[in-house]
Amino acid sequence: QIWTRLPPKTKFSLKHSSDSSCENTRVTQEEDWSSSPVVGVGLCDSAPLLWRVQDLRTVRSRGLVGALLGSLARTPRQNGRLGRPLLLLPEEERLLSECHALTCRSPGELTSRSAGAELTQQVEQYEEEQQRSYEEQSVLALEDRKSALLRAMTSSHTDEALRGRLEAFDQDFTLPRSALAVQLSTARAGLTYCSEARAFLQANWPIRARNDRHSDVKYQVFRDLRGRGFYLTSAGKFGGDFLVYPGDPLRFHAHFIAICQSLDQPVCLLDVLTVARLGSNVKKTVLLCSPGTDGEVVYTSLQWSGMV
Amino acid sequence: MADQKKTDPDVKFCEILSPSELFAARSRSHKIPVRGQKDFFPSDSDEQRQRLEQSLNEHWSLISEERVERLGNLVKATWIPSEEIVELQSPAGKFWQTMGFSARGKQYLLPEEALYLMECGNLQVFYKDLPLPIQDGYERFLTSNTIGLQQYQVFGHLKRLGYVVHRFDPSSEPSPYSRQLNLPQSRDRAGRQLKRKRSTSPSPSSSYIKAKESTTDRMEEESHEGEDRKHPEPHLTASPEASEVQTATTSSADEDGGRTWWMTDDLGESSQSLTSGSSCWDFSSIHFPDLGSSECHSSCLACPDPSLLPGALGVGVCDLAPWRQRINLRKVKMSPKEHKRDEDNWNINKDKEVRQCRNWAEYQQLMARRQGRRKGRPAHLWNREVTPLHDPTQPVPTGELLDKISVIKSSNLLEGASRLEGSDDWRICFNVYQPDTVADFKKSNPGKPYSRMCVCSFEGPVPDLRVIKLLAFQSGDIPVVFAVVDHGDISFYTFKDFQLPTDVYP
Repeated sequence: QIWTRLPPKTKFSLKHSSDSSCENTRVTQEEDWSSSPVVGVGLCDSAPLLWRVQDLRTVRSRGLVGALLGSLARTPRQNGRLGRPLLLLPEEERLLSECHALTCRSPGELTSRSAGAELTQQVEQYEEEQQRSYEEQSVLALEDRKSALLRAMTSSHTDEALRGRLEAFDQDFTLPRSALAVQLSTARAGLTYCSEARAFLQANWPIRARNDRHSDVKYQVFRDLRGRGFYLTSAGKFGGDFLVYPGDPLRFHAHFIAICQSLDQPVCLLDVLTVARLGSNVKKTVLLCSPGTDGEVVYTSLQWSGMV
Repeated sequence: MADQKKTDPDVKFCEILSPSELFAARSRSHKIPVRGQKDFFPSDSDEQRQRLEQSLNEHWSLISEERVERLGNLVKATWIPSEEIVELQSPAGKFWQTMGFSARGKQYLLPEEALYLMECGNLQVFYKDLPLPIQDGYERFLTSNTIGLQQYQVFGHLKRLGYVVHRFDPSSEPSPYSRQLNLPQSRDRAGRQLKRKRSTSPSPSSSYIKAKESTTDRMEEESHEGEDRKHPEPHLTASPEASEVQTATTSSADEDGGRTWWMTDDLGESSQSLTSGSSCWDFSSIHFPDLGSSECHSSCLACPDPSLLPGALGVGVCDLAPWRQRINLRKVKMSPKEHKRDEDNWNINKDKEVRQCRNWAEYQQLMARRQGRRKGRPAHLWNREVTPLHDPTQPVPTGELLDKISVIKSSNLLEGASRLEGSDDWRICFNVYQPDTVADFKKSNPGKPYSRMCVCSFEGPVPDLRVIKLLAFQSGDIPVVFAVVDHGDISFYTFKDFQLPTDVYP
């Protein structure tokens, strides 16, 4: 009785990743990375976060999506669209670090920078800059007022009256200090902008040990799929390891739910049915991905289909 | 900052805005561009490429936007690393209603609150007189000592939805013991249960009420078993009938004496047993004189045995005449009905088995036995320690009966939770209050949280029953929600107590 409700036929299609064109694209991408700018990563509670827009763009141009965590500057109180920082998946972090494309600075280094005389100098500089900004903004605000006045009074008043008003503005106008627009910076300014220091730190990205086997398996699968041009994000909400997109996730739906499993690991039939059922419900194909012994990855796709 | 800008002219340093950019940002839009329908498959068409480009442009312009605020709208604060808190330097804004705390005459924010307000553009935090960028907020405020990144993600997610989120402090929770002593909420619930139970009982016989009460008692015990540390004895007593039977059997065990309390006129024996100094009154040997009866002809009572009197106390013969004047000696007139009843009593007294009963319990038991024999309650089933689960002579609704004969009782989340050892791997992080309470929310008296959050990750294990019980016990009657963080995504799960419905109506 139970079996009638199970798929009459579950189709397994085996596909091996041995075709050479894929290998080639992967190699060219790695070459690309070695020449691309190094990405500055900040560690927060041991999670790798990207802060600078330039770094986010670099990473995205390499087909790595990551996950945005912060409130969006424009409208902070919503969850629909988030902003910087960008969290890298462990696989993304490892991929970048293997290409020597990561550098990192801990906040500890920053404190050493901000010490003693240098600190007072910085504070002075900050205050100076704010004062300069205030002056410039006062000028801009005055211009703004004047042009607004001109727009409003062109028709109804005589030139003299207008001139008088404008002169009065010039003399009396002061921008209230509280109206000064100030920036709340997102990224920290500092070493990450200095190319020499970048070069120096390039090899210094700590390879953080993730010794468990599953993360190795996941990484090999991630690397292979990315090498084939897919975009990947984390698939916790779909019960898998990765969501696999055919193009940039901004424009395309994910096609696959990748589940990483080493080749010699037995799979319970019920688990297979569970993921396949889930995949069909969200209109995605489930991929069982297992790295082979020769560095290639074996993909098995599961598809529900009725018996005809 | 700026000196690095100067030393590094080749690197575009676009993330610090110029004064004119700052001024221009005052009038910028706050709308989020709508994302169009996604395509199914990349087709390499120009149209698709264009759309992708547009989406990416919108994306980057949103992402790259810097926060610009009027100085007057910003609350100033300083970061105190040694205490891992943020001290306000200027008057707090509207957020003070739900966030922050006062101490030593100053106003403080917890790091996660400060960071959230920084992200919302309400707060500017200074450290060593320099403003901290958001990045520094993340890297300095979020540590394992305060609150981790994942916890902050959950905090921010809930705050952005409008919830009031406070750290959960286990020490501010009433201890299980005090909860047991002073249980306004859960007591109420138990009371309501009791009431409802009673009102549904149809025309109860006395024994039925007894059974009801004992079951509701038990239920109450079960619902508070969490707090039940002081009661090592499990309250899983058998049905009240069974315990009644038990007392009956124990009393019948020392029946061997076979003494009756119908007196014999043997004074000598009485003095003997009294001098034996037994602490129990032996009523079979205590003689009460019947002064009223017409058969009593002697006009005085004999003097008591001097051996029973203390010391030199001498008591003479008691003259009955004055006593007889004081009592009503008229003969009671009885109706025929009363007469008959009297006769019945008389008959009962003549009954040999009844005469062998030494007390009321035994007499009642005897009566019950006799009645049982009449109503198909065979004595051999009922006079041992093991008795049938249900007495067919007792009227009981079907639901009650099913409950009685269910061998495995259903359990609840809190059952046995108090006896579990605490665990460090799982802890409740936040109290969450619903957004609609914000208007009249008081930090000093936040009331009952809507739920409590426990933060975990998809990479970690699923909480087991032990953990769920522990957290539920710690949280009392407020549901514990598991916020599962998967990189950027957060999903919320909760485990609920569930009672299988019984489709039986009494």
